[in-house]
Amino acid sequence: MTDSPAIAVDGLTLAYGNTSVLDTLSLAIPRGKITVLAGPNGCGKSTLLRAIRRLHKPSAGRILLETTDIAKLGERMLARQIGLLAQSPSAPEDMTVEELVRLGRYPHQSMLQPWSPDDTRALETAMAGTGVTHLRERHLGSLSGGQLQRVWIAMVLAQETEVVCLDEPVNHLDMSHQLDCLDLVRQLNSQFGRTIVLVLHDLNLAARYADQLVFLRDGVVAASGPPEELMVEDLIARVFDVDAMVITDPAYGRPLCIPLRTR
Amino acid sequence: MSGLTSTLTTARAPIALAVLGSIGLLLALSGVAFGSSWIPLDQVASVILGAGEKTQKLIVLQLRLPRVAIAALAGGGMAVAGFLLQKITRNALASPGVLGVIDGAALGVVVFLAVLSNESNTLVTSIGYQPLAAMAGAVLGIGLVFLLSGRQSASAVRLLLFGIAIAAVFKALVMVMMLIGPIYRTSQAARWIAGAVNEINWSEIQITLLMLLPLLALAVLAARKMPPADLDEVSARSIGLDLPIFRVLIFALAAGLTAVSVAFVGGVGFIGLMAPHLARLVVGRNIHAGLFASFLLGAIMLIGADLIVRVLFSPVEVPAGTVTAVIGAPYFLFLLMSRQRHDG
Repeated sequence: MTDSPAIAVDGLTLAYGNTSVLDTLSLAIPRGKITVLAGPNGCGKSTLLRAIRRLHKPSAGRILLETTDIAKLGERMLARQIGLLAQSPSAPEDMTVEELVRLGRYPHQSMLQPWSPDDTRALETAMAGTGVTHLRERHLGSLSGGQLQRVWIAMVLAQETEVVCLDEPVNHLDMSHQLDCLDLVRQLNSQFGRTIVLVLHDLNLAARYADQLVFLRDGVVAASGPPEELMVEDLIARVFDVDAMVITDPAYGRPLCIPLRTR
Repeated sequence: MSGLTSTLTTARAPIALAVLGSIGLLLALSGVAFGSSWIPLDQVASVILGAGEKTQKLIVLQLRLPRVAIAALAGGGMAVAGFLLQKITRNALASPGVLGVIDGAALGVVVFLAVLSNESNTLVTSIGYQPLAAMAGAVLGIGLVFLLSGRQSASAVRLLLFGIAIAAVFKALVMVMMLIGPIYRTSQAARWIAGAVNEINWSEIQITLLMLLPLLALAVLAARKMPPADLDEVSARSIGLDLPIFRVLIFALAAGLTAVSVAFVGGVGFIGLMAPHLARLVVGRNIHAGLFASFLLGAIMLIGADLIVRVLFSPVEVPAGTVTAVIGAPYFLFLLMSRQRHDG
């Protein structure tokens, strides 16, 4: 990995009122990889994700996209380079699937740039890539939770951003849809070459899908690296306050954490 | 556009707009025809086109046409304001009436009449400034709502609650001004507050039109940027709409539209609530179609309300605002209750 990182977080400090959430945090997001942010509740992982998309204003530090400080980018320009799927996104129930996915093309349009063949191509690619083309006329209110999540991912995909952030995308999904959703995210990474930043609660899912795993605690990076290096018992104990046993899962050979007791 | 649904909605909107436009036109003509004396529709048309005898000309051009014209403009303007507010708050209960805008405008007008009247009952300045006073009051109203809701202003429910509270405070202040203030034109103020479209002259219509047109043009422009506002805050922002700034712009625009609309006719209630809601039922989710349909429905409602009070209560001049309130208040309750069921 001699490549320069897609995103470099540099000394980021962020507070809500008087409560400090991130404390001079620095982190490199490697290009074309899946980075998973994990950590206990309140560690600042969702805040970091939103800060990367400039939804929170840092009180110090900066975030570099390539070599550009994102604070200097225009709203539309930024939206063409970093996409974010919210933790609990919502849209009107009578909106159709196609209407929602079309909204992903919003930052590519303006008074001078109406809907173009390029937009149509991106729309169709996004719907086909997420397998929702056959749902295009359906109203969002008529979809299942798993289908709905695919449609939202299609919208972010249609945005055609280099970086895609997803905030706990599998939170409300059952086991099969969790795997389904994360397989889709991996496909965005492998097939469409997107740089992915994910916030995940489930440590075993994180270890299974991450190229780079990042443990956050108390607003700083406690550790970062490949899952094999981070999924070790004393580190998990230190970051999550849980005594755990880590084994290698017999099916995929990824590290698997078996929590024993809280400390 | 591809696919069955989108073709249907694109075909449906123009037809619906044409139908609404025709209804509006017919109602406007009837509004001119009805009154203490009935003037047949064909004669109304010929007078408007420049022919006709002298008495009819006077009745049509000076008495009846102005009230129909101002009803169309004011009803339409308020409806567009309500449409913008409902879109940006993602809440069908939002309207100029419940966001402190109309009561703010009322306070502006009452203060204007109080401060700028002399003891011989005349304004010391032109009545042409009354819309500006209404506008200032409206902006003050919506500004206070935003200021007080502060960080919670992203939440539509909080905005509504603060809006209702501010509206109540302003209502009280208007009462106080009416009772103890040095108003020598209380009846004019009272007429304004009830909301009536009689006693309107052409210069007032001219002022309304001149101020309304640029605001409506802005609304059409803003509608282009509006689609992400259908989504939650984070999603809307992450596809590139600067929602915190855009929201303030839309609220200011809605406040301006409301203020200009109500400046002369007064606080006609509930049109800003009902018209956009019905527009959505009629033309669906397309923003521009919704905007135009709201305007037409708002115009239809106020022309219709004025027609109703003239037919039912003639020769007494009952303010048209009473009709919109009598219909609108239950409508608001209905919306509130159906939402509760939905949320629960």
